Amino acid sequence: MLSVEAVSKTFGGVQALRSASLSCAAGEILGLIGPNGAGKSTLVNAIAGVLKPDAGSVKLAGNEITGHGPEHCARAGVGRTFQTIRLFRDLTVRQNVEVAHITCRSVRPDVAARIGVDRLLAQYQLDGFADVPAGTLSYGSQRRLEIARALALGPLLLLLDEPAAGLNEDESETLAVAIEGIRRDVGCATIVIDHDLRFINRLCDRLCVMDQGQVIASGQTEEVWRDPRVIEVYVGQSETS
Amino acid sequence: MSQAIEDTTRPNGALARSLVGGLVTSLPVLVGGLLILNFAPTYYTFLALGAFVNLIVVVGLQVFMGNSNIANLGHSAFVGLGAYGVAILSTPLAMKKLSIPNAPFGFATLELDPVSSALLALLAVGILALVSGKVISRLSGVAATIVSLALLIIVHSVFLNWTDLFKGNQAFFGIPKVVGLPWMMAMSVVVIVLARLFKDSHWGLQLRASAQSPQAAAALGIDARRLRLVSWVLSALICGLAGILYAYFAGTISPKLFYFQMIFNTLAMLILGGMATVTGAVTGVIVLSVGLEFIRSIESGVTIAGIQLPQLLGLSGVALGVVIVLCMAFRPSGISGRYELDELLSRFFRRAK
Repeated sequence: MLSVEAVSKTFGGVQALRSASLSCAAGEILGLIGPNGAGKSTLVNAIAGVLKPDAGSVKLAGNEITGHGPEHCARAGVGRTFQTIRLFRDLTVRQNVEVAHITCRSVRPDVAARIGVDRLLAQYQLDGFADVPAGTLSYGSQRRLEIARALALGPLLLLLDEPAAGLNEDESETLAVAIEGIRRDVGCATIVIDHDLRFINRLCDRLCVMDQGQVIASGQTEEVWRDPRVIEVYVGQSETS
Repeated sequence: MSQAIEDTTRPNGALARSLVGGLVTSLPVLVGGLLILNFAPTYYTFLALGAFVNLIVVVGLQVFMGNSNIANLGHSAFVGLGAYGVAILSTPLAMKKLSIPNAPFGFATLELDPVSSALLALLAVGILALVSGKVISRLSGVAATIVSLALLIIVHSVFLNWTDLFKGNQAFFGIPKVVGLPWMMAMSVVVIVLARLFKDSHWGLQLRASAQSPQAAAALGIDARRLRLVSWVLSALICGLAGILYAYFAGTISPKLFYFQMIFNTLAMLILGGMATVTGAVTGVIVLSVGLEFIRSIESGVTIAGIQLPQLLGLSGVALGVVIVLCMAFRPSGISGRYELDELLSRFFRRAK
């Protein structure tokens, strides 16, 4: 579904991405992890069209979307959430989801008919707050609303940037169940960035580990955690030697 | 669920709900207009006509400002263009011989009926709006506001200096007076309903979303520039219509009518009423029109309980400034806040049950 090939990006003198490659199949949940400054968010922004890579290509369902801009990428099927929640705070919960569903209705009407705003609200336990301004929701509900809104786009690829940040253990578990439900109901490719490794391990089929702008390991979860380069990044050189 | 409001985006009946909402918002305007029409002396009818023009301008302003959250300081340029458009096209030839005998492009010898003139004037407004909107829609925040101000200054300078066509700073008189209070009321209702339909439409909803979080809106495939352009043009056409109606009821216009004083008055009305809603635009016009008329009545000095107060010339200007400052400081969302009149009534009746 998603194919990222040798993407590079430099900001001034800093090379944020160095020939980073990854792929994610339909129905797969891929965990994108790495220490702060590893280039995860830059890579997500390159996939979502916010940043134009200096080199490399991003393809979604075989279509080139490299550097096409966020509006085009969204219409092509890239749905996303943000590290810092970005809801339309004065619009109601329903209107937040409706805004995305309007785009879906114009670009993928068949998918839009299947999703339905009411169904999404119920699925993410937001139906009781449908007519409340989004800014008044609790933090956990706002996180759920952001995901519901991204799903209302009928995405082929869903990018979740730190979805569990600021959630307690119970809320994280609820969120993990909801994200698993996306695989079952929507079947889109999903990439999850998070620092909560327990959350990532519980949820993801595969992991992709980044450090200093490069993908240093990728594969099945257990296999990746046995990789010496990953252990070095997460545990430290002295522990591994 | 105290903040629950009537949702306006459900596909079923959304259009009907917006239509009813617009008509409910128009009710106070209609009732006020009918009372004045039937019971008020001529002086108050004349004042009401001016207030109705302001109402249409403020609703036009709300269409752009309220949905895009970008301050517009150029809307009176479109009011002026609408007014001068019909003045140039519909003024009788005998009058034109006196006012603009050297008008270019054959306008000195052209006299059209009021309706054709109005349609052509709106076309001119639409073209200017489309051209200026191409620039404005690419910008946001202060940059867009400054460009709108530049547009006002450019158009005003053209009115002042192209004397062969616009008669400079002298009054352009002799425009046929074909609009009375009933027409003004009908047009006000149309404009209020139109503004409400736009606000609740897919375009309006997506534009309001993009104003709150441009990044999130872009990530949902929303083309904010196109939506800003649509609302800018619609806003300009409504303001142009206000200018046309003004020219057709007053019969005389001059450039200064469509400059900073109008900008300041109408902005104060929108800010006071609340720019997020069409109800806010209507509320601001009603409250400030009545308030300013009261202040004007005491500006020239009144006697209260035997005490003669001095003249307070300029008090209305001070009051407008104070209204804007107080409103911005203590109630930035204006009197009506985020709810339309029909939404407030719906909440009230639900609670009363």
